[in-house]
Amino acid sequence: MTATLPSTTPAMTGHRPTSGPARLIATEAKLFLREPIGLIFVFAFPILTVLIIGSSFEPDDPAFGGAAPSDYYIAAYIGVVLAAVGLVMLPVHLASYRERGVLRRFQASHFSPWALPVAWIVVATTLTVVAVATLLATTQLVFGVPAIDDAPLTLVGLALSIWTSINTGIVLGLALPSARAAQGVGLALFFPSFLLGGAGPPPDVMPSVMRTVAELVPTTHVVQTIQQPWLGTGSSTTPHLIVLAVIGVVTTIAWIKLANRVATR
Amino acid sequence: MSARQLAPLPPLARTRIRASSDAVITVDAVSKSYAARPVVDDVSFSVYRGEIFGLLGANGAGKTTVVECVQGLRRPDTGTLRVLGLDPIADRARLRRAIGSQLQESSLPDRLRAGEAVALFDRSHGRDALAHLDRWGLAEQATTSFADLSGGQRQRLFVVLALLNEPQVVFLDELTQGLDPAARRGVWQVIRAVRDAGATVVLVSHFAEEIETLCDRVAVMDHGRIVDSGSPREITDRHASLSTVSFSAPRAFDRRRLTRIHGVDRVEQEAGRITVFGTSPMIAPVCAATLDGESGPDDLHIQHPTLDDALVNMIGTNR
Repeated sequence: MTATLPSTTPAMTGHRPTSGPARLIATEAKLFLREPIGLIFVFAFPILTVLIIGSSFEPDDPAFGGAAPSDYYIAAYIGVVLAAVGLVMLPVHLASYRERGVLRRFQASHFSPWALPVAWIVVATTLTVVAVATLLATTQLVFGVPAIDDAPLTLVGLALSIWTSINTGIVLGLALPSARAAQGVGLALFFPSFLLGGAGPPPDVMPSVMRTVAELVPTTHVVQTIQQPWLGTGSSTTPHLIVLAVIGVVTTIAWIKLANRVATR
Repeated sequence: MSARQLAPLPPLARTRIRASSDAVITVDAVSKSYAARPVVDDVSFSVYRGEIFGLLGANGAGKTTVVECVQGLRRPDTGTLRVLGLDPIADRARLRRAIGSQLQESSLPDRLRAGEAVALFDRSHGRDALAHLDRWGLAEQATTSFADLSGGQRQRLFVVLALLNEPQVVFLDELTQGLDPAARRGVWQVIRAVRDAGATVVLVSHFAEEIETLCDRVAVMDHGRIVDSGSPREITDRHASLSTVSFSAPRAFDRRRLTRIHGVDRVEQEAGRITVFGTSPMIAPVCAATLDGESGPDDLHIQHPTLDDALVNMIGTNR
């Protein structure tokens, strides 16, 4: 302790002349960006994998329903980014908060009980959009990004998918007891979603049993909701939108109930 | 952190909230069960403005549940609570602005830096974050991640966070758990400074020496109930064993005159060493009786009962 205080700088204290919720959002963004597992799965893994798998097929391979393999996988790997956010990044981050008593510290503070979930939603949405943009920028350089057949419906599908993924991540993060449990459960859900949801082998080469299993994986609906209107393939996007909307509503209700239960036991 | 290192605290400003009497906290017949297992059973007590009030008891006695109910973090099954005249559940938002908390087993994210933590929880937008850290000897740790802070530095950071926003009441739950003796005494210094600056402090601990050293009044809890309350001295006098004065005596020393001293309970002798048992008022006359002219025994030993002795007598070895 000193009689003369060193000058306060933003770099030293994290101070910005911002409101409480804005400060919370900025702090949460920093913490997400300092979490290596989230960054690896949301940014590095989809880009590296799409570059490998997008280059692994002949351009005229018939297994992709008439689409070029790289076009098929670019849309599919947006689904992988969303799965990484909802099944790995958010659950691990939130479960560590619950495990270490960070949630209780916020409950005892002047912040509104909803300030932290709102910050998670804002930060996760922003990171998802940035990760998707990074994926598209990278694949544009290597393969070229295909033109969008139905832009409004593609954007609706993307927005609904982001909402559903983030809600799923918050539910898992608030329900699982520890970061280790969240990592285990999250990865156990992520890899089947990744392989069966459209980012692995194309459905046309799968046996019928695997195609049926794949239809039960939520990531399949995320990928189809984005891929079909983007590439102008498939018969109807509506059933996939309905499935995602139902999952989105159920998970929203679930995390609000979980947050209330955590707030006052 | 030594005593002379501590910079003086500025007076804590008062918010507009005012309690109707000197009691800033009233807990009346509060009970709480988890899965039909009673954890807090009909607990009542009051905490008055400007005091350090202790809740003492073994782990699992229900202390933390009580203070979590007081802070509105748990909803009691029955009973009423008022803190600064507010209902902790119904007026939770207003109450949170008037209290500061260090919760047991409540941490910070590993990668959050100390300065960022202060700026985040400071309602003045973190303008004085470095000054807050400097006051508690943490200015050099402003850019250190929470995971890289020592145990003592973490506890001091928790104190900084609990004292942000000028609270009227500060709750400190097992603040010195896991600290070495020197760091513990540094934190005790901090707690006294907090009270001296005008705040009311509620200290939860299973460590009797800590409560005895710091608290004006204490409630002792066992199995969810308050088994006694009062000043540490009063509780010690009611429940602890007797004081003792022991010394080596020459063979000609007359033990019988000791038994006539007011307050002496009994006198025992073993291998030339006399031990006198009694209440505190007997100590000075007994010591005087050991004098032979101007010289006395060079191995005179006086032992006062402690709150820890009282606690053992009150709750046995269930600690």
